[in-house]
Amino acid sequence: MLELERIDTFRGQAQILRTVSLRVGEREAVCLVGRNGAGKTTTIDSIMGLLPLRAGRVTFGGRDITRLAAHQRARLGIGYAPEDCGIFPDLTVEENFQITEWLKGPAAAVGDDGYERIFSVFPEVKGFLTRRGLHLSGGQKKMVAITRAMTLSPTVLLLDEPFEGLAPVVVSRFIEAVTTIKAMGISVLIAESNLVNATRVADRLYAIDRGEIIFNGLPRDVFANHDVMRTIRG
Amino acid sequence: MDFFFIHLLNALLSAATLFLIAGGLSLIYGVMRIVNLAHGNLYAFGAYVTAWTLGRALAGAPTPLLYLALPAGAVGAALLGAVLEPTLLRPFYKRAEEYQLLVTFGLLMILGDVMHFVWGPYPLSASALWENSGSVSIAGNPYPNYNLVVIAIGGIAAAFLWFFVYKTRFGVVLRATSQNMRMASALGVDVNRMYVQAFTLGCFMAGLGGAIIVPSQSAVLDMGVDALVLSFIVVVIGGLGSLEGALVGALIVGVVREAGIAWFPEIELAVLYLMAAAVLLVRPAGLFGRAT
Repeated sequence: MLELERIDTFRGQAQILRTVSLRVGEREAVCLVGRNGAGKTTTIDSIMGLLPLRAGRVTFGGRDITRLAAHQRARLGIGYAPEDCGIFPDLTVEENFQITEWLKGPAAAVGDDGYERIFSVFPEVKGFLTRRGLHLSGGQKKMVAITRAMTLSPTVLLLDEPFEGLAPVVVSRFIEAVTTIKAMGISVLIAESNLVNATRVADRLYAIDRGEIIFNGLPRDVFANHDVMRTIRG
Repeated sequence: MDFFFIHLLNALLSAATLFLIAGGLSLIYGVMRIVNLAHGNLYAFGAYVTAWTLGRALAGAPTPLLYLALPAGAVGAALLGAVLEPTLLRPFYKRAEEYQLLVTFGLLMILGDVMHFVWGPYPLSASALWENSGSVSIAGNPYPNYNLVVIAIGGIAAAFLWFFVYKTRFGVVLRATSQNMRMASALGVDVNRMYVQAFTLGCFMAGLGGAIIVPSQSAVLDMGVDALVLSFIVVVIGGLGSLEGALVGALIVGVVREAGIAWFPEIELAVLYLMAAAVLLVRPAGLFGRAT
């Protein structure tokens, strides 16, 4: 489905990712865990095409997308909800959703059934469709960011710190939403700094530290690996 | 009262052209975050193209045909913008702002020289349209009908732009790109394409400003720099990046200029600069700008 093969990514002069390899299978929820500054967001940005790679390649559905621009990757079906949500402040929530619809054109429009399916992840979003992005709370922004990524009809969804800053009860609501998305047949890659949250949602885990993958395995196995646990928890 | 009405019309005339220039400048900044110093000479380019079309290519043509050909300058400036953005400006987007200022300033100079080379050093006029349009009597004084057409074009352009930016799908995608370019691209927006379209539209507005002014005053080489300075006062007052700001700023500058010409001609420009300075002190982002 989605595969990174030995990628190196720089921000300015600084090398952030070092030979990172990662795979997300079909209908799989994969978490990338690590401390702040470990390289999680850089990995997501590299997949999305928001940062250029110095080495390695990215494949999606068997196709090499390393040289594609971000908008071309989005149109292939890679949905993205960034850490800061990226909500357009002066657009209403509805306009935030309509952007992808308009770009796809009427032939590929989601349609009423499609919207019902998208809104089934966070039905509460229907209650503030006419509100401007500027006037949303933190939790609402996160809901809108994930729902907006769903309007692309993605086959894989990249969620950067989707549970950050949420109250524990709300985190449970978001984990439930990720489960709903997975049940729709959509693969999910989540960048997460909280290991407990990650293990609640992931089928498989990668741990990253200082730009290198230090663990790849099942959630239950990570707790048995003391070196990785020490690194992740700092 | 009639004296006041004529001055009001003159203020609106000045505001109509200023809005087109400053609105284009603001649109380009709002979407692309580039202060386009070449904008003044894109306005002048529009004036020269229309002056050449009406005054030389269509000399002696009937008035309706001249009106039809009036937007030639706007189309010319838009085409020029569509070529300049991807070739000269795009390579500098990731550079620091001073590089962008330098390249657009260089472009201002180059365009000035190109116009000098193509159309020569002398003013180019196309006054037939202005003369043929006749005049209307206001309180016993003749007032050119063509000036009323310019005011109407300014008003229609403002309404069209508002509709285009706030009520069309393209406008929503344009606003999304201006608010968060990275996120827009991650949603499938081809940002390069949006940039060239926004720049072309901004140049079209500047060119239209030049095109509509040229029947009533000749195209001259330094008109671009004069217009650039005035449009900067407009966007400082209204807020760079805001179309509403450009409209209100143009109206304020238009009224103050007209009042200055009537009552305090010696210090007309000084008053405008003082106003801009006062706005910068009290509201640094302008009346409609958003502080970042």
